[in-house]
Amino acid sequence: MTAARTQPGAQRCVLVVDDESHITHVVSLKLRNAGYEVLTASDGEEAFEIARQRIPDLIITDLQMPYMTGLELCERLKREAPTAAIPAILLTARGHALSQADLSKTNIREVLSKPFSPREVLAKAESILGISGAGDAGPARNAA
Amino acid sequence: MGFGARMSVFSALAAGAGAALALLLLSSAWEPLGGMRFILAAVVGALACWGVAGYFGLGLDNAITRLRLALLDPDAGPEGVTLPAPLKPLRAAMQDFRERVAAESQKSSTRAREVELRRSVAETELRQVESTLDALRDAVLVTDRFDELTRANESAASLLGFRLPDDLHKPLARIVKDEALLTMVKETRESESLSDRKNVEYTISGADGAGSPPGPARVFDVTLACLPDPTGAAAGGVVTILREVTREKEISQMKSDFVSQVSHELRTPLSSINAYVEMLVDGEAKDEAARAEFYEVIKNEADRLGRLIDNMLNISRIEAGIIQIERTEVDFVQVVKSAVEVMQPQARLKNITLISKAGPLVYTASSDRDMMHQVVLNLVSNAVKYTPDGGRVTVTVENDDATRSVMVSVSDTGLGIPPDAVDKVFDKFYRIDNYKRVAKGTGLGLSLVKHIVETVHGGQVGLSSTVGLGSKFWFAIPIEPAVARKAA
Repeated sequence: MTAARTQPGAQRCVLVVDDESHITHVVSLKLRNAGYEVLTASDGEEAFEIARQRIPDLIITDLQMPYMTGLELCERLKREAPTAAIPAILLTARGHALSQADLSKTNIREVLSKPFSPREVLAKAESILGISGAGDAGPARNAA
Repeated sequence: MGFGARMSVFSALAAGAGAALALLLLSSAWEPLGGMRFILAAVVGALACWGVAGYFGLGLDNAITRLRLALLDPDAGPEGVTLPAPLKPLRAAMQDFRERVAAESQKSSTRAREVELRRSVAETELRQVESTLDALRDAVLVTDRFDELTRANESAASLLGFRLPDDLHKPLARIVKDEALLTMVKETRESESLSDRKNVEYTISGADGAGSPPGPARVFDVTLACLPDPTGAAAGGVVTILREVTREKEISQMKSDFVSQVSHELRTPLSSINAYVEMLVDGEAKDEAARAEFYEVIKNEADRLGRLIDNMLNISRIEAGIIQIERTEVDFVQVVKSAVEVMQPQARLKNITLISKAGPLVYTASSDRDMMHQVVLNLVSNAVKYTPDGGRVTVTVENDDATRSVMVSVSDTGLGIPPDAVDKVFDKFYRIDNYKRVAKGTGLGLSLVKHIVETVHGGQVGLSSTVGLGSKFWFAIPIEPAVARKAA
């Protein structure tokens, strides 16, 4: 995978989670056009199952979803060894509702508020994947 | 007037009587008249001297009586009695004395009346204060400098579970079990600052009221202030006022939840519009088909945003009484059919069987067609949202002869409504906590249904439900508008 690291985006797998199909569609398209492999899920539970099976390099998830929120998803992923290191980007229409304490229990590296820019999502994804390799379990860093 | 041998006897008698009376008066402690008793003594003494001087002869009894009358009441005295000159000052003194006695007696009865009046005014005022306190919804407790309850109103008694007047003058700690409240009262008393008023937010858990069944926690705004002692200089006790703000807190929480929810609901379609426009600008759509798909998404999401805003405005308008209503004879079978058609794709996605049933009759009622469509759509949409995959949603149209209404009911095999939520589901902003994760919503749909049916059309909405088996929501619209609501 060293080749992949020197060439961000190539062969990288991103899991996109949102209960709004338009959003998963548009984010997936942006990432695929940039050369990523993309998996999608429409709620937290589905995403959790996919993440455990495929171990994506990055998860981009909505916050408010039925059955399991994006925050709960990221907390559960961090608790389980195989998925504990997967970094995440949180998309939310309620950014103010999140506390530092909530985020510290997850690997959420960026919080982007909706409406969001697909360009910005891609840039953040590249930045996270560029600076972090597999196995990085450092403390969460959050966008203010 | 002959003076004879009896002279000495009369003199002795008169002198004896005079001396006895003088002694009696002198020794008397008839305080109110003070020095007057000396005058009386003088009078009696003079009478005695008069007797000794041999002024009287036979018929002395009669003469004394006449003189006494003349002395005591010169105006009403018997005719022809002339008071000897030496006695005239005496008469004046007697007269003065009588007047002063009369004045004193007048004064003291006036004072007695005043005291009685004051007492009755004070009693009335006290009763008024007590009634005023009892009329307050706020609980009021007054404690003295030993933290004993000296006054309380009915609200306080029922809130804290004590009895009036039985529990008055008992230590507050024996009446009120809540440590936090006792501490607040004690601290306020000890602060002894008369100008100081404390406002504390304070929560009473549901189980606190003695003997009452546990209920939800109640929030109070507590005001504590020191009461002055009789000198007015120091703190003699504490007045504690508990104002319940549970409802205000709930409303404020509901409002902030609503704003947060609405903001989320508005941002979601806006996010799609924004993202797809940016994709088009960035040339991310590879071909014409992809671009056409993007345009379609943008249009649909803009429509969704518009509907959401309409919903919120409609509720506001109905609440403000400024809704425009266009009444026509609406065919409810048609309304139901078109709403079912709109919802059919969503039902199919979840493999839900969505059907409408109606008898062979024509079911029409004077109403606003668009609003009726909205009502049926909201109910069917809810049924589909909260019914698990593979379930069944049935919409029925019938006439209710008893109320002369057209009745539409939407039955599902969904999650059902918990009994404690049945009364609240039509409230604006209300959403069943556990169901928030099942489906999205503004908490406005059923509120709009109720407003349209009941406020605008004078109809009725209702529901029956069993958790785990499903719900049946229904509404009835009068065939003839009984009281046509005037739209402003």
